[in-house]
Formats: sequence, C-alpha cells, structure tokens
Amino acid sequence: MISALPLLLMFCICSRMGEPAYKGAETTGFQSPAQDHVEAVPDLAELLELRRPQRYAVRVKGEGLRKRGIHGGDILVVNTDAEPRSGKVCVAFLHGDVVLAILIEKDGQWWLEPSNDAPQPVCDETEVWAMIAALVRTDV
Amino acid sequence: MFGLIDGNNFYVSCERAFDPTLIGKPVIVLSNNDGCAIARSAEAKALGIRMGEVWHLSKRKPEYREVIAKSSNYALYGDMSRRVLEVLSDHFARVEPYSIDEMFLDLTAFARVDYCRRVRDRVRRITKIPTCVGIGPTKTLAKLANKHAKTATGVSDFSNIDIRREAFATMPIDEIWGVGRANQTKLNELGIFTVEQFAALPSASVRKLMTVTGQRTHAELNGVSCLPLTLAPDQKQTAAVTRMFGRPVETWTDMREALAAHAARAAEKCRQHGLVASAMQVFFHTHPHNGDPWYHGQRSFEIEPTADSFAIISQAVSAGRSMWKPDTRYAKAGVILLDLQAPQDAPRDLLPTVDPVRSEKLMTALDAVNARFGRGTLRPGGIRQTTPWSTRANNRSPRYTTRLSDLMEVRA
Repeated sequence: MISALPLLLMFCICSRMGEPAYKGAETTGFQSPAQDHVEAVPDLAELLELRRPQRYAVRVKGEGLRKRGIHGGDILVVNTDAEPRSGKVCVAFLHGDVVLAILIEKDGQWWLEPSNDAPQPVCDETEVWAMIAALVRTDV
Repeated sequence: MFGLIDGNNFYVSCERAFDPTLIGKPVIVLSNNDGCAIARSAEAKALGIRMGEVWHLSKRKPEYREVIAKSSNYALYGDMSRRVLEVLSDHFARVEPYSIDEMFLDLTAFARVDYCRRVRDRVRRITKIPTCVGIGPTKTLAKLANKHAKTATGVSDFSNIDIRREAFATMPIDEIWGVGRANQTKLNELGIFTVEQFAALPSASVRKLMTVTGQRTHAELNGVSCLPLTLAPDQKQTAAVTRMFGRPVETWTDMREALAAHAARAAEKCRQHGLVASAMQVFFHTHPHNGDPWYHGQRSFEIEPTADSFAIISQAVSAGRSMWKPDTRYAKAGVILLDLQAPQDAPRDLLPTVDPVRSEKLMTALDAVNARFGRGTLRPGGIRQTTPWSTRANNRSPRYTTRLSDLMEVRA
C-alpha cells in the first residue's frame, strides 16, 4: 500500500489535469533527464477562461460575418459581463432568434446590425446577450 | 446577518437563457421520465398548472394547448447553478449552497439591500437567471423574506422590524421554512393561520405541539439565530440510484442491465465522496397504479466494505436474480448503498476478495476518463449506452454549456 502511494498520487494529479500519465519518463535503460520536468499540454480552457461564470461557448451558423473574419462552424467564446462597445460583434436575441450582430451607438441610441437584416434599435424586445471575446476554429 | 438568494423558476429560467422562443410563453419542466411538472414559468402558473401535476394526464386540456413542456436537463441546470455560485462567491465572503437554486449568504454590515440588488443584477446579466433575495438576522427569517421578495421588488429585508411586522400579518404559516403539511393542519385547527399569530405563541406551547425542531423555527422567527451557516453538507449516509423505467421491463437481460447501471452509478457517487459502502439494498417493483398485479422484490444485505463498481455490480445483480419473478412488468428498480463511511473507519476483512490497491487504481482511472470524456464513456461490461429501459426525455434541450456538440447556435 505504502509503495503504491506515490504512483497513485502521480496518476491522480495527471488525471486531474486531463492528461494520461506520461510513461516515457520511466525509462528502462538510461534514466531520462526529463523525468522531473514532465509537464501537461497547454490548457486552452485556461487561455479562453472557459471556467469563469461569464464565459460561454457558442457555434456560428452561416457566413454573414466573413468580413469580420467569422466563418460558419467557428466556436465563439463570449462574455456576458463585458461592457457593450460600439463597432464590436455581439450575440443578441432578436425576434426570437439568436443572432450575431454588430453593435453600433449613434447619438445616444444603440443599434444592432445583423448581417442579413436592417439595423434594429436595442429596446425591451431585444437583448444583447454577450460580447464576443475569442474565436476557435478547428478546420483551418 | 443572513441572505437567501434563489433563482425564480430556476429550471425554466435556465431553459430561457438559451432559447428566446420560450420567453413570455407558458413553459414547464418535467421530472425524470417526463412525469410531473417540477418548474413552471409565471405564465404557466397563471394557467393554473400545479406543482407536481402529472403532465400526460392533463396535457390535453384545451387551456394548456400553448404550454411548452421541456424534459429536465440536469447537465444544464447543474452548470448554471455553478455559475450562479461563482458569481456570488465573488461578492460574499461565505456562500452556502443549500440546493441547486438556493444559496445562503453571509452578509456584513455594509452588504445590505442596495448591495444585494447590485449582485442580483450581476447574476442576471452573467447567467440570465432572475433571482430574489431575502435578508434576515436568522436563516428562517432570510428564507421567509425571500418568499416575501417574490411578491415585492425582488429584495426584502426582514432585519427591518417594521417591514417584518407588516409582512407577518398576512403571510400564511405554510410559507415558513420547516412548517410542513402536518404542522400546518395542527396549527390551523388551533386557529393559527398567519406568521404573526405563530410568532406570538409562547415558546413552550410550540415545543409541546411541534417538538424541539418547531421550537427552533419559532425562535428563529423571533430573531434568535439557531442555525449557523454551514459550508459543507453532513457526510452522506447513503448513495441511492432509483429510476422509473421508460417502458416496462419484462426480461431478465434488461433488468440485469438496469441493476448493473444503477449499481455502477451508485458506486461512482460513493467514490466521489471518498467513501465505501458496507451494506446494500436492491429492489424492483411493478407499477402501483396501472392495474398490473403488485410485486415488490427487495433485499438488504451487508457487503464487504467497498466502492468498487465491479464488486457492487455483481452483488446487486445476484441479489436481483434471487428475487426475479418472470412474466411480470416491472416499472421501477433501484440500488441503494448504505452505511457509507471513510475507508479507514470501515471494518476490514482479514482476507479481502477485492485487492484494495488494484481496485482503487482501476476506479480512479475509470472516474478520470468519465470526468474528461463525459459520463458513460468507460462502462463496466454489460451496460449499453442507450438502453430500452432508459428514462424518457422526449423534449430535452441541448446541454448548451457542457458539450461541444450541443453549443447554442448563433446565426450570422
């Protein structure tokens, strides 16, 4: 039991980080100089702050925002706690639809510009759900 | 000072956070197996849908034609609850998660009504969940203030004696935390209907009527705090997995599989708490109300202390086999692990049949894979992914926040 403990501990630490234990550190011939320096792969969830409560991942459907570099199939990481800023892309609830729109402020009035519809004033019927914070594309 | 924050119609609010077509409509969420209404939007309440209403019996009523009934999506509700808790933890030194949608808060002298209002707005903005906050010098008063807040402006402060006195005069006693149906009847028979009347009773007669628990509730209502903030739940005593079947189970193959799956899940729960079980109960029975002949098989027995899925499955299955009666339509089955304790406290066998070190490693690996790739990725042999006996969930929304395959779609 005692002898198995460090191994089990190492396994627990590795599996907690979502990594299978790296077996190559336990070499049979020459001792690996990397043995004490085994690290996990970079954690993209950390970079994208996916564990924070205000971060949500959403999936883009349609090509209407290609001019802003956003393609269909992209994953957007959005922030529901970000200040709205004119000119930025946001996720909005618009007439029962979930859409991407460019947020514009003109003379104190906020507008939503969806890619394939006329600009709509932000009012009680619309909701700016979140601002775009990051983009993930896997089929480059 | 205590605060209690809770999500309004929490499950419905979680659904609405990701689906604008549900906003302003009568929406209900159904219990496991699409049985009863367990959450109702304000519009659904206005139509007269009761909590616990059996939906398949009443859904054909013409006045319910517009109602949208969603299957429960606990992966979503659990993750939204996490988000609420994390936002609250940013603003309060201590937060006690009391249930999936209710949290007790530790309020300092500076964090009162205005502060709570701001936090409530922030929870709304970040999680899209509307909430109400009750404030009081005791937990029972905070909970009652929270009920009051639902009919007021979203935040009620019962540390203010005037507000409290005014509210007590009209609030019925069944709104009090800890006063159940039985006590309510007893008190009503004595002519006590409002919180004001109950709070005015002498403490000794409350004790005679409702034991020491009722006396504590009574003291708390009068501003004497008896229940402190607890940050961790009491150690679990049991791990139960019991389910109604999606359709009747009639073959031993299906029943064996159901018992194995329930046993595996119960063992997993047990391990999550770092505990081992030293007794187990296995049962299955026919439907109590559909006219089938009643048969109820149940067996409780001691086991060698363990949390090993394989050991628990094999014993659950053999107990099930011993009470299996063919040509019977079973409606429900369950596996309950009992006498949970820390491994070092459990009685140890001289010659254990399960190698504890090997078992622990294997179970750690099993749980790690399932935590990383989703529940059910690695399953002990004999449990299929989707099964004929699985729970019914015909209208469950996507697991928007926990699965890459289920993300909310945004149209560009």
